Amino acid sequence: MIRIRGLTKRYGDVLAVDDLSFDVEPGKVTGFLGPNGAGKSTTMRMILGLDRPSSGEVLVNGQPFAAYAEPLREVGALLDPGAVHSGRTGRNHLRVAARTNGLPLRRVEEVIDQVGLGSAARRRIKGYSLGMRQRLGIAAALLADPRVLLFDEPINGLDLDGVRWIRDLLRRLADDGRTVLVSSHLMSEMEQTADRLVVIGRGRLIANATTAEILNGLGRRQVRVRSPRPVELLKHLQEDGFAVEQLDGQELQVEDRTAEEVGELAHHFHIPLHHLSDVQQSLEQAFLELTGDSVEYHGHRAEPVDAATEVAL
Amino acid sequence: MTTDAMPVRISSGRVFARACAAEWTRLWTVKATWWFLAVAASIMVGLGAVAGLDAGSDPTPSPNASAWAAAHFTVLPAQFAFLALVLSAVTSDYATGGIIPTLQWTPRRTILFLARTGVAVGTATVAGTVLALGSAVAAFVAARSALSLPLGEGIHGLATIAFVLAAGTALAAGLGFLLRNTAGGLVSVFLLILLLPLILPQFGYAWLTTVADLLPGSRAVFLLNGEPTDRGFTNTSSVIVMLAWAIGMAVLGWLRLIRDDANH
Ligand SMILES: Nc1ncnc2c1ncn2[C@@H]1O[C@H](COP(=O)(O)OP(=O)(O)O)[C@@H](O)[C@H]1O
Ligand SMILES: [Mg+2]
Repeated sequence: MIRIRGLTKRYGDVLAVDDLSFDVEPGKVTGFLGPNGAGKSTTMRMILGLDRPSSGEVLVNGQPFAAYAEPLREVGALLDPGAVHSGRTGRNHLRVAARTNGLPLRRVEEVIDQVGLGSAARRRIKGYSLGMRQRLGIAAALLADPRVLLFDEPINGLDLDGVRWIRDLLRRLADDGRTVLVSSHLMSEMEQTADRLVVIGRGRLIANATTAEILNGLGRRQVRVRSPRPVELLKHLQEDGFAVEQLDGQELQVEDRTAEEVGELAHHFHIPLHHLSDVQQSLEQAFLELTGDSVEYHGHRAEPVDAATEVAL
Repeated sequence: MTTDAMPVRISSGRVFARACAAEWTRLWTVKATWWFLAVAASIMVGLGAVAGLDAGSDPTPSPNASAWAAAHFTVLPAQFAFLALVLSAVTSDYATGGIIPTLQWTPRRTILFLARTGVAVGTATVAGTVLALGSAVAAFVAARSALSLPLGEGIHGLATIAFVLAAGTALAAGLGFLLRNTAGGLVSVFLLILLLPLILPQFGYAWLTTVADLLPGSRAVFLLNGEPTDRGFTNTSSVIVMLAWAIGMAVLGWLRLIRDDANH
């Protein structure tokens, strides 16, 4: 369980995290979603006591992280997989971790097997691919079998097998009853894994709900309708205050309404319909809508474009 | 996978002991440590043997010449290998980003500071003292009885060397935590211990000489070799000056570690 209240972080005049409050509950994968620069990594650093909050507080299982004598038993975390001394072998890196928390060296061999690092553990980290560094970081996170796990963009740089492996791992960890917080700037990633989503933009909380709720409730609804008498239907819809647009020939698109409303109106005027459907709002669109403003006002014009292309991947 | 029942209370002493064990492993699992020790060993033992050979082939040997002098002279250049060893033990975590996992595993920063400083300074001091003994023995053996190896002088000399190394490397550790930068740390160490003590008195201004007198390098040379004799240095004042630098810098480094964000 992670409890975040009024968390704020300033770096000089950059407000990286702005009065953030939310809980991360056990037994679920919580996706921590936001465009690049939204403040995800900064929030995770503050959860781990790496950066000092400008104000607010974070409790992990009821205590500040830095208060724990055996922190690896409470929280396993993978922030930046490149942030290791690359002159050490993978195994020695993990041995150091084991010693800090009084863990038996047998655990080192177990997690090496568990993450599939295998014989690479004997080699210096220098020669590791990004995927291998990710696995090493995850091995360290799992070392003491912690109740809380944090992963900062764990999918980055992994091949398809690696991505699948991480998804399964996150699922299993949550099903064990652990608290799992995983960040990403890709909605499509989170769609596959997260039970809940905490969405932030420019350091501020935008949404905190189940993935389904974000998908259904927060996105804009649209209705597609096809009729042999489109002009007549268009006129009646507009007269009733519907925001409607003619797409081509016989097809219309109605914003912010349900298929029931459009169907009833057509029935009332005896206009035949050949097709009527709610448009499934894609998670990407919902995400862009949620974070769109917060990206737009970010100063750099390039960023909304970045976010859009990345989301579309 | 199992989660243990209620964790037992772990004393700070236990956490510190574990942090020291981890620091010990960290130290010996990087090449730099071995490299710096190899450099120090070849300087001290090699130059000691050379000094001994020199004394042995002297046609007019001085009757009281002691092999311990070799230890005192070779530790002057060799101390930079120990300073670099301790400095890099502290700063490599900042250069590599390794401070992020380090603080995840040992988030109690004062404990991390004490363990890291203690293990690095202790290792350098013990290794340096053992190598000083090796240097004197090498000189003694190579001199073929042209040099003596009196026990009492040896104990005093080794204790002095241990103090100079401990104080110097503690200063280096503090600088490492304060600057978080290997190059900056090395430059500062060279300035404080070698260059400024050498250069400042050359200008001939009394106040610059006074500044030089207060630098740790001037006092290290005095403690090791008894020079200079004309600036009013005493053993006590020199020990105090070196301790002040070591403790002062360590405190500054500790403050930066406990107050600032992990790595920026
Ligand atoms: N050390 C720092 N100094 C100054 N600004 C920083 C620092 N770290 C992060 N930031 C800024 O804080 C904001 C949030 O960054 P970050 O938490 O890394 O976002 P995310 O992980 O969501 O991409 C960004 O605008 C970033 O530029
Ligand atoms: Mg980030």
